[in-house]
Amino acid sequence: MTRVEFMGRLRRGLAGLPPAAQEEILADYDTHFADGAAEGRSEAEVAAALGDPGRLARELRLEAGLKRWEEARNPSSAAGAVMALVGLGAIDILILLPLLTGVVSAIAGLYVAVIAVFISGGGILVAGPFFDPPGGPLFPVLLGLGLMGASVTGAALLTIITIWLVNGLVWFGRLHYRLIKPAIQPEPDYSERGLS
Amino acid sequence: MPEAIEIQLKKGVLALCVLALLERGDSYAYEIASHMAEAVDMGEGTVYPLMRRMQSDGLVETYMVESASGPSRKYYRLTDAGRASLASQKTEWDAFVRAVNGILEREAPPQAETGETA
Repeated sequence: MTRVEFMGRLRRGLAGLPPAAQEEILADYDTHFADGAAEGRSEAEVAAALGDPGRLARELRLEAGLKRWEEARNPSSAAGAVMALVGLGAIDILILLPLLTGVVSAIAGLYVAVIAVFISGGGILVAGPFFDPPGGPLFPVLLGLGLMGASVTGAALLTIITIWLVNGLVWFGRLHYRLIKPAIQPEPDYSERGLS
Repeated sequence: MPEAIEIQLKKGVLALCVLALLERGDSYAYEIASHMAEAVDMGEGTVYPLMRRMQSDGLVETYMVESASGPSRKYYRLTDAGRASLASQKTEWDAFVRAVNGILEREAPPQAETGETA
């Protein structure tokens, strides 16, 4: 593989990262080729020693995805981190999918329930006093406030559990993704022919 | 599966090795990569994801050095957090190696070198 080919593949693989990060990464690898040339190594030699650009790009995207998740804990960064791990084969999607679907739908269901409790609490709070309740007009007000407070607590707990779950997944994935495997032994499905 | 053990081992100590290299002196990626490729048979390209990760974890920081020939070069140096991480990882590694060696030496008779190396 030539320097131009390698850089082209890497650039395509990095698509989706912030432009500044892309430029920095590309400059790093470009310098590597320049340093290699200064030592008298051929482009093909340097490219072979660097490894598969597609796989390197996936690793770099994963690092960026995990960093984003660590900086901002929101649904989109969580999805990004998990998808990057899946893309790298760090998490086996076939094993994970049924499990994840169950967990995700359970969490979504709980969120819906919490929101419903919050709304009904609000309803009782507002409408209750007009229906001449058994415990006096103050009872529905307190009941409504109580329900709303409980649902907010529930939502907070759910959020903590969700963050904890994604963190666990990231930890698991990081532990398992084969960082230097392709360098030692090129993966047959990704490796390029012509280098031997 | 000796191959799997080898990969897991190398993966685990990669960051430790880079930290140790940087403790001896600031360095740039190409130099780090050549050292690592030579010493632990690591793909040179892997050093870049690793350096970015260590940088975002705050273990290393970069600075640019003007070069007499060609463009300026990005150097990496250890941060205080990096130094602390190196110290603790080194202690763990030493203890681990000692424990494994203890077991291996007790189990294998003196003629350990049979040519069947992992």
